[in-house]
Amino acid sequence: MDRRNFLKTGVAAGGAALLGGRPAPALSQGAAARTLRFVPQANLANFDPIWGTQYVVRNAAALVWDTLYGFDEELRPQRQMVESEEVSSDGLTWTFKLRSGLKFHDGSPVTSRDVVASLTRWSARDSMGLMLKALQQELVAVDDRSFRWVLKKPYPKLLMALGKNSTPMAFIMPERIARTDPFQQITEYVGSGPMRFLRNEWVPGAKAVFEKFADYQPRQEKPSWLAGGKVINIDRVEWIVMPDPATAAAALQNGEIDWWENPITDLVPTLRRNRNIRADIADPLGNVGTFRMNHLTTPFNSLKARQAVMVALSQEDYMRALVGDDDKLWKPLPGYFTPGTPLYTEEGGDVLKGPRNLDLAKRLLAESGYKGEPVPCIVAQDQPITKSQGDVTADLLKRIGFNVDFVATDWGTTGQRRAMKNPVGQGGWSMFHSWHAGADCINPAVYIAIRANGDGAWFGWPKVPEVETEVANWFDAPDLETEKAAIRRLNKAAIENVVYAPTGFFLTYQAWRSNISGIQKGPLPIFWGVTKS
Amino acid sequence: MFAYVIRRVLQTIPVMALVALFVFSLLYISPGDPAAVIAGDQATPQDVERIRASLGLDRPYLVRFGTWLWAILHGDMGTSIFTNLPVTTMIAQRIEPTLSLMALTLVLAILIAVPMGVVAAWKQGTLIDRAVMGFAVLGFSVPVFVVGYLLAYVFALELDWLPVQGYTSLSNGVLPWLENLVLPAIALGGVYIALIARITRATMLEVLQQDYIRTARAKGAGQSSILFLHALKNAAVPIVTVIGIGIALLIGGAVVTESVFAIPGLGRLTVDAILRRDYPVIQGVVLLFSFVYVLVNLLIDLAYTLFDPRIRY
Repeated sequence: MDRRNFLKTGVAAGGAALLGGRPAPALSQGAAARTLRFVPQANLANFDPIWGTQYVVRNAAALVWDTLYGFDEELRPQRQMVESEEVSSDGLTWTFKLRSGLKFHDGSPVTSRDVVASLTRWSARDSMGLMLKALQQELVAVDDRSFRWVLKKPYPKLLMALGKNSTPMAFIMPERIARTDPFQQITEYVGSGPMRFLRNEWVPGAKAVFEKFADYQPRQEKPSWLAGGKVINIDRVEWIVMPDPATAAAALQNGEIDWWENPITDLVPTLRRNRNIRADIADPLGNVGTFRMNHLTTPFNSLKARQAVMVALSQEDYMRALVGDDDKLWKPLPGYFTPGTPLYTEEGGDVLKGPRNLDLAKRLLAESGYKGEPVPCIVAQDQPITKSQGDVTADLLKRIGFNVDFVATDWGTTGQRRAMKNPVGQGGWSMFHSWHAGADCINPAVYIAIRANGDGAWFGWPKVPEVETEVANWFDAPDLETEKAAIRRLNKAAIENVVYAPTGFFLTYQAWRSNISGIQKGPLPIFWGVTKS
Repeated sequence: MFAYVIRRVLQTIPVMALVALFVFSLLYISPGDPAAVIAGDQATPQDVERIRASLGLDRPYLVRFGTWLWAILHGDMGTSIFTNLPVTTMIAQRIEPTLSLMALTLVLAILIAVPMGVVAAWKQGTLIDRAVMGFAVLGFSVPVFVVGYLLAYVFALELDWLPVQGYTSLSNGVLPWLENLVLPAIALGGVYIALIARITRATMLEVLQQDYIRTARAKGAGQSSILFLHALKNAAVPIVTVIGIGIALLIGGAVVTESVFAIPGLGRLTVDAILRRDYPVIQGVVLLFSFVYVLVNLLIDLAYTLFDPRIRY
C-alpha cells in the first residue's frame, strides 16, 4: 500500500463528505510533467535584484528579467536583448539597437527608454556601473529601439559590465519600475524574461512560482549559460524553500521535488545510492574560501602577522573541513582568481604551496610586535562554510601563538560586526571567514574582495597601492595579454601584502531526479533547456 | 462572570504593552544588521550604510519605538524590511498551517494522553502503568526533531505512506490536509502527550482515593463510569491547566517541527525573521503569540467553571 492509498482506505469509511472536505483537484500526469519543483539555495525573501544583491535573488531574477548581454560558458558577453551595437573609432560613443518584438510581461513593448532607466538604476549600485557613471557624458534613448551611451573616456569592459552574472546584474525593467530609488525596493515584478513571476502565489520563506511567458522570443543561437536561446520547456517552476537539508534530501528521494540546487556534501553519497537521482557539480566556477583579516587593528595591522598566517595556513585542512574526502570537490588556490578562467595566475603564490612552516610563522609573529592581545575571530555558526573554516582557523592561530577570542555568532551578526572599524576591545574584530562565488573572482571588475583601496575596500580595509595600480591597468588593457600581465602583478602584490588569505577553491553539487534532463553546470541554476518527462 | 471577563481582557492591555516594550528593546540591543543581509556579501560598507539609513535603522531608539508603537495602536504592524509586504499579510499567509498543526496536535494529544493517564492511574503499579510512564519519560526525553526525522524516514521514505514535507490547505480537502499534518502532529505531540498523561495519572490517583469514589463503587457503578464520569471530571481542573500551559510548548515546538517538515507556518517565519533581523516581523509574530497565550489562559480560567461549579468569578 502506498501513501496515496493509505489514508484514503483508512478514512474512506468515514466518507469524505462526512468529513466536510472538498476533494483536491487531481493533477494530471501531463500537468505534473510541466511543473518543475526546485529547492533553491536560500529563501527568496525579496525580489529586487538591484536593491538586494543576494545570489538567490539574482538567480530568480534571471528568469523574470532579461539582460542586454549575457555571459556564455567561455565568459564572453554575447548579445541577448541587443540586436547590434556600434562603437565610435575613439571608443567614446556606443550606440545599441534592441531586438524587435521584445515585450514585458504586462504586454507593453520593451523600449530604449526602459533600458536607459534600468541602466541608470543599476549603475548606482554596481561597482562597474559606478565606474561607468563616473565616465558617463550622456545615456539617452535615440528612438524606441536605439539608445546611445557617450563616455568621457573609453571603457573597454562595457559589454562585460552589461553581461556579467555577478550581482547586481544589469536587468532591464519597465521605465516606471526602474525609476525607483536604487536604495528602495521595487513593488512590481514585471520583466521581459522567459518566465513571469506569480506574485499572488509568493509566500516568502516557503514558495515562489514562475510561469512560462508565452510571448517571450528566445534568440536562435544555442543556449550557453545566460547567452543564446532561453527556450523554456516547462509551464511552471515552483521554488520550494526547505531550510533543512535532511528534509530536502528525503523529499528528493521521495519524488516530492525534482531538483535541489545545493545538497550538502555529506548527503550526496546517500542520494547517489538512489537510482532515480543524479548528482553532479553545480557550478564549474566554484567558490573561493576566504580568511579575511582586519588591516586596521592589532595584530593584523602588521604585515608580519598577516604573513605568519600565510606561511602556516594549510588549504588542504580548510578544504577537507569543508567538503570531506571527496577530492573532486576542491583544489589548492595559490592565488586569488578563479582556476580555469583566463586571468587565473599563481604569480607570487609560492608562499601558499608546499609544507607549512609553523616555526617561521611563530618567528614572524614575534617580529610583528604582537604581545598576546586577544584576537577576536568572528565565526558565523549558522553557515556551514564559515563554521568549518572557523574551527580550522582557531586551531591554526593557537598553534602559531595568537590569543584567540573565538566569537561564535550568526551570519546576521557577522554582517554587522565586520563593518565596525573600532579597535579590538571596543567592538572591533581581527578576522572573519567568508567565501566568494568563483564567478565573482574572474576579474577585478567583479571582484570587490581583491580591492585594496583602504576605506573603499571590502571589510578589513586593506590599503595596497600596487594592487590598485594594477586594477587600473587591467581596466585600461586593450587586449587579453596585457590584462594577464596586469593580473600577474596584481596577484603577486596582493599575496605579498596579504590582502586576504585564500583558503582554497571548492565546488558544490546539485542533484535532480532522473526524469529531468537538460540541467547545465553554470554559475546559477539555468532553467531554459530543462525538460521533465 | 461577564465583569470578570471584561476585567481580564482589560488586564491584557498592560501585559501586551510590556511585551511590546520588552521585544522592541531586546531587538534594539541585540547584535545584527538587516542592512548588511540585504546588501549581500559583495556590498561596500557605504552601500550598507545607505540601506540602513533608507530603512530608518539609523534613527534613535525612542523615535523608532514611538513610531512603531503609534502604528501598532492604529492596527498597523508595519512592513517587512525584506519582503516589503505588510506584516499582517505575511502572518495571514502563514497562520493556517501553524493553527492546523497546533489544533491537530492538541486533539491527538488529548485523545491519546487523557485515556493513557486514566488507565495508568486505574492500573497503578502494573505493567500498563509502567509502560505509560515509560512512554512519558521517552516523550519528554526525545527531541522533536529526532522523532520527526524517524517518522519521516519510516512512514515517508521506507513505507511511502505519507509525504516528507509541505502543507496542503484545508480548503483542498481534509485528506490531503491530514496527509501532510499527521507526522508533524505526532512528532510535536510527543512531549505534550507525556505531560498530559503524567498529570492526568497523578490527579486521577488522588481523586480515586476520595470517599465519593468508594461510595460510587459501593453503589455498583461501572468501572468506566467511575473513571470517566465521576473521577475524571473532578480531576479535570489541573489537567486543563496543564493543557493551557502546554500551549507554550506547542508554540516553541512548532518552530522546530515546521523546519523539519518544511511547513510554511509562523514558526519558520519567526526563525527566518530572527536570522535576517527582520524586526517588524519578529515584533509582530511575538506580539501575536503573546496575545494567543494570554487568550488561551483566559479561556482556561473560564473553563474551570464548567468542571467545578464551586468556582465563581
